[in-house]
Amino acid sequence: MPEDLILELKKLIIQTLKLEEITPENIEDDGALFGDGLGLDSIDALELVVALEKVYRVVIPDSAVGERVFRSVKTLAQFVMENSSAGGVRAAKAS
Amino acid sequence: MKYDETEIRVRFNEVDSWGIVWHGHYLAWFEVGRMALLRKFDLLPQDFTHMGYRAPVVDLKCTFKEPAAVDEEVLIRTTVLQPTKAALTFHFRALRKRDGKLLAAGEETQVLLTLDGRMLYVIPEDLQRKLQPLFDYLGESVSAA
Repeated sequence: MPEDLILELKKLIIQTLKLEEITPENIEDDGALFGDGLGLDSIDALELVVALEKVYRVVIPDSAVGERVFRSVKTLAQFVMENSSAGGVRAAKAS
Repeated sequence: MKYDETEIRVRFNEVDSWGIVWHGHYLAWFEVGRMALLRKFDLLPQDFTHMGYRAPVVDLKCTFKEPAAVDEEVLIRTTVLQPTKAALTFHFRALRKRDGKLLAAGEETQVLLTLDGRMLYVIPEDLQRKLQPLFDYLGESVSAA
C-alpha cells in the first residue's frame, strides 16, 4: 500500500474534520476510523465523502459502501486507488 | 436568502414560573415553521417515506436572546441552506412581532436514510428533483452533494 497516499488520506481526514489534537502518527493504518477507533460518526462520514469526491473524484454513495471503505485508512486508500478518476492526480502518483 | 414565516401566539401553558416562555417550546415552534415550509412543497415526512427515504434529525442548536411573555405574537422564520453534503440544514429565527426583536435562533440538521436504514452520502436524483422547487423558492440550488 503506497505510504504517501496513506499519509495524504490521514491529513485529509484531520483537515476535513478539524481534528486539531490528532496527528497522522496517531492514526493507525489498520485502526478503525469509526466507533471505538478514531471515534468518527456518521456526520463525519458525510464530510469525508464530500472531501474525497473533491480531491480524488471518488463517489461513496451510501453507508453500505461506506462501512466497507471507511473501515480503516488502508481500506480507504485501496478504494481511492481502485476508483479515483482524478486523472490519478495523487492516487496514481502514489501507486 | 428568502424565508418562510409562521405566526405563533404564546399560550398560557407555554410560560414557566417566571412568566416567560420555557426554552423547550422554541424547538417545538421551529418544528411548526419547518413543517409549514415543507408542506408547501409536498416534502412532509410522509412524502419522504413515499419516496423511500427518512430524514432523521441528527443535530439541533438553539440560542436564546430575549424572553417572550404569554399572549405575545411570535414570528418563526424558517429557511434551508443549500446542501453541501447529503443533509438538510434548517435555520430558524423567532422574533417578537410587536418590535421585531430576536427571541431565539436555531439550526437543525437532518440526514437522509433509506427505509431499511442505509444512510445516503449523496442526494439521489429523484430527491434532488423533488427538493429543487423548495430551493428555487428560497433562491438556492440543490448541489450534487
